[in-house]
Amino acid sequence: MEKIVYSLFLVPWILALAVFLLPGAHFHRLRQLITFLSLPALSFLTYLVWNGHLPLQIETPQWLELAFTVYDYGLLLYFLYQGIKFRDFLVTVLALFQLFLLTWVLLIMPESSVPNFYVDRLSAFMFLIVSTVGTLICIYATKYMEQENLERENRFVAILLWFLGVMNLAVSVNNIEWFFALFETTTLASYILIRFRWDEVSIKNALRALWMNQIGGIAILLGLLFGIKYYGFTHFTQFLSLSGKPVIVMIPLGFLAVSALVKGAQMPFHRWLLGAMVAPTPVSAILHSATMVKIAPYLILRLSPVIKGTLLAKLLIITTGFVFVGAGLLALTQENFKKILAYSTISLLGLMMLTASMGSSMAILASLTLILFHAVVKALLFMEAGVMEKLFKAKYVEDIRRLVERAPITVAFTSIGFMSMTIVPYGIFVSKWMAIEEASNFLSHGAYVGSIIFMATGGVILALLYFKVIGVMTRKRGEFFRFQLERVPFVYLFATVPLVLFVIVGSIFIAKLLSLSVNPVVEAVIGTPASIIAKGLTLITPVSELYGWQIIGAFVLLLIVPILAYFVHFTGTDRVYEYTCGEKLELNIGTYNFFCIQVVEPFVETAAVALFILTLVLGGGLV
Amino acid sequence: MSYWTAFILTLFSPVIGGFIYGLERIVRARMQGRVGPPLLQPFYDFFKLMDKRSIIIHSFHAFMGVMYLIGTWFALFVLLSGGDLLIAIFFHVLSLAFLVVGGFSVRSPYSVIGAMRELLHMVAYEPLYVLSAAALYLVTGTFQVSGILRSEHVPLIYLPLLFTAVLFSLPAILKKSPFDTAEAHQEIIGGPEIEYSGKFYEAVYTAKWIEYVYAFFFIFLFAGGNHILGALLIIFAFFFFNLLDNVTARVNFRQMVAFHWYILIPLAVINLMLIALWRS
Repeated sequence: MEKIVYSLFLVPWILALAVFLLPGAHFHRLRQLITFLSLPALSFLTYLVWNGHLPLQIETPQWLELAFTVYDYGLLLYFLYQGIKFRDFLVTVLALFQLFLLTWVLLIMPESSVPNFYVDRLSAFMFLIVSTVGTLICIYATKYMEQENLERENRFVAILLWFLGVMNLAVSVNNIEWFFALFETTTLASYILIRFRWDEVSIKNALRALWMNQIGGIAILLGLLFGIKYYGFTHFTQFLSLSGKPVIVMIPLGFLAVSALVKGAQMPFHRWLLGAMVAPTPVSAILHSATMVKIAPYLILRLSPVIKGTLLAKLLIITTGFVFVGAGLLALTQENFKKILAYSTISLLGLMMLTASMGSSMAILASLTLILFHAVVKALLFMEAGVMEKLFKAKYVEDIRRLVERAPITVAFTSIGFMSMTIVPYGIFVSKWMAIEEASNFLSHGAYVGSIIFMATGGVILALLYFKVIGVMTRKRGEFFRFQLERVPFVYLFATVPLVLFVIVGSIFIAKLLSLSVNPVVEAVIGTPASIIAKGLTLITPVSELYGWQIIGAFVLLLIVPILAYFVHFTGTDRVYEYTCGEKLELNIGTYNFFCIQVVEPFVETAAVALFILTLVLGGGLV
Repeated sequence: MSYWTAFILTLFSPVIGGFIYGLERIVRARMQGRVGPPLLQPFYDFFKLMDKRSIIIHSFHAFMGVMYLIGTWFALFVLLSGGDLLIAIFFHVLSLAFLVVGGFSVRSPYSVIGAMRELLHMVAYEPLYVLSAAALYLVTGTFQVSGILRSEHVPLIYLPLLFTAVLFSLPAILKKSPFDTAEAHQEIIGGPEIEYSGKFYEAVYTAKWIEYVYAFFFIFLFAGGNHILGALLIIFAFFFFNLLDNVTARVNFRQMVAFHWYILIPLAVINLMLIALWRS
């Protein structure tokens, strides 16, 4: 069993090395083949872990500990070098501070015999996402880079594959010092990937991503320091032993939660994720869906049994809920397609962490469902953004006007992606529904009242955003006389079709999916599974039911009908031009960009800063 | 309510809605000192429109109009069949999506503006309905509509502020003055409806009648198990919102959203919090 877990880290690295060592245009096919291998290999390994005996604690030899320490120093020195090389004050200073803190931690770190790896179902759940969604993105990237820059393709795909291994490792370590090392390794990976095009903007944004995530790293180190000082704890499982007991000192947990907020790009630290869009599109896809930002909800889920019901959890609910609404509002002002997606990721990450901090089994279930479906949908949407960019040269919402006339497949997939984030039968909706109903049980607490307001308003703002984009795409001049599908390269279809199928099939069989696959994870996280029952397609929760016929009905309305709409031609009717009240004017219909909302941007950010500090100071018990 | 009752009620909801609409035109006319059209005028209009030559822009647009009718119908059935209230609310959003996509699909400025405003209507009233679902749960202990209708508690007694808020947002969901920005006949000539004609306009028109039934049934829920009170509430709401329609002028969309978000939603939240605190 240990070997399987190890191979989950090592296989991507070996594949990455193989891809890296095959440069040049003539090895392109071979590299594609190797990248493709990662999908069956990693999926099979994950399958073995999932069916294995969990949780699994793995003891590690002494030399590995030493190796991690050396690696830590190497990494931080590299950050320092980058800071000096690009004359970036913040990166330099933060790297120095990290070096100082790391040395301090190592000096006072107690000897402990707790195993350094802890693989439970939550880790396996993250493996599952990484090894399916992540590898599909890598496969997609081979084609994308072929169209962009074949010479550097090997580098790019190698980094992506290596990133998957790092992510797998990060979600299975128990030692917090090691977690810090891997946290910063994902920072490094995102830094290299964002910088990939080597132009001025890329470097600037990459450095921004670097220093912001370094702050997250510092928060982890501080959390670890205080953990050692107050409890003598250096491992996650030791913190988990605190659950259920009244926690006296919240400082270490407060810092760890703050590091999650930074990694999860919550305001005011959201700009690094927005900056990531200058890189090639697969980078955004992988950062937003399978890796990197998903560490944030993962960390909160790890800690949620301990922080449940504390002031920290309540402040986290308010902060992340505020970001859910705030980021959705700011997304309305954007006209760049990738930026809209980025803001909606920030927003939904807020919702994931909100539900994770609520800490009851239903809320955890909602959070995990959200993580799963969000990973799939965001990967899909970013891949479609890449397709639009490469095949139709469309980057802005303005450019995708009337795309439905030229690209029915792309429009259909994008619409499914957008709809699945708000509308009735899809997975993300189901988790939001469960979260609202769960929050209704605790309305005597201000934080939960806040959460329900945030969920109600945030959801509707996102619906407004997505329908705005769908509306722009489906505008058209006349009848579809000739139904013609666009030619999408096979690799693109290979990467996107499974995701679309998962969204649809997973949403239809949501009851089975939740009770059989997600609920065991809930049990691993919090101890008790959520009391949901699947009866056919019907999902029965403690307070309510989602009937199978409702799901099917909504799917008939949402999926079959829009496809039908291509083929329906009303015969015996006359065609006319638009009436527009008889006015004859030169028309150029644009889109709404809600520039009026830009006025509130400074207020939203100021409030986010205030909430962030409140979370740290009051929640972390620094008063 | 059994599935069969719900089904029959849903099937006949356009007729019920049509009568409500006819009555509304009379009541509104009497308030203005006019006689008004006959009660059956909406149905006369219906038959006249069905008889008209069909003129459409393109099939997709016309098809979305028909789908709006079917979507609304289905949403009403979800609400009446006694299932989860929140799900029924979100199904309403789904049906609205068809109208919006249809409105966006033609190159007509009024239609596009109207569709956008339709979404803003949703932004305005939707959170309020989610909050009332939570509040009804708090009082009756269930999210199931059938459970709420059997409840011994009368939610109205516990939720006066919330009920007021829902009452004031009724014009927003039914697109009546002062919150009729999405249709705004003098300004954008019906918004998303403008490009429909004949049978297809009839579909959109009928969907609006169904929305009447949907909205008034929501009011009915505030009486819980006391169905006589529920009927009284509906009558009261009907007159109140006709009065409101008559005496107010249209606000712009910012004022509409601001009124909902800064006045009605806080009212609802205060009510929600007080009741939750009292209960705990």
